[in-house]
Amino acid sequence: MNFEIAVQALCDADVEFVVIGGWSAIFHGSARATKDLDIFFSRRTDNLRRLARALAPYHPRLRDLPPGLPFIFDEVTLRNSTVLTLTTDLGVIDLLAEVAGLGSFEQVAVDAIQVEAFGRTVRTLDLDSLIKSKKAAGREKDLAAVLELEGLREADKL
Amino acid sequence: MKVLRKLTPEEFERAAEKLRNPRPGSRIEAAKKYGIDLTLLIEQLRLSPAERADQMLELGRLMEAVRGAARRCRT
Repeated sequence: MNFEIAVQALCDADVEFVVIGGWSAIFHGSARATKDLDIFFSRRTDNLRRLARALAPYHPRLRDLPPGLPFIFDEVTLRNSTVLTLTTDLGVIDLLAEVAGLGSFEQVAVDAIQVEAFGRTVRTLDLDSLIKSKKAAGREKDLAAVLELEGLREADKL
Repeated sequence: MKVLRKLTPEEFERAAEKLRNPRPGSRIEAAKKYGIDLTLLIEQLRLSPAERADQMLELGRLMEAVRGAARRCRT
């Protein structure tokens, strides 16, 4: 996994995005390892073009696509997708245009916080939004993550 | 925009104390009862967000290397 290269590529291409999911939890102090990088992106046309160009060199491909079937990773694909679960040369990357429990990208971007990581300044979810998204996802594995994050939030309170 | 930064030594000590001795009925106690290792959280909070990310990247690479070695052993 070379997620720092992915994040650097997105930042250097001026892509509007927010890191969510497991990596956001790690920034906040979670001790849970994650295999994928979850990116919440703006669906503005110029942003889709920048996002496609930034990741194209790393050969993104749908994870559940049978071998041999063609896949074109471009702004049209991004515009027509809500979630793209990709495998890339850099590791597993999920691109999300909508996230349960969070609202639009524009709303999330307002509440997002800045963090220095991977050699860049990136935006990530604040702890409240992260917990909200994990609860909305409602998966078995998210239950432990929510408890951990709620514990971190409580520890961080005055 | 708010910035997520490393805890000051005072903030860290306060957070670590809460994690070492969870208040009855607290979310921290709920996490502990669920089986979450709170000592790992204390170690993470000692680091800056960038250090936490770097450490997880290293861990991920190490796990990939171990998986690769195991695959090679099987073939």
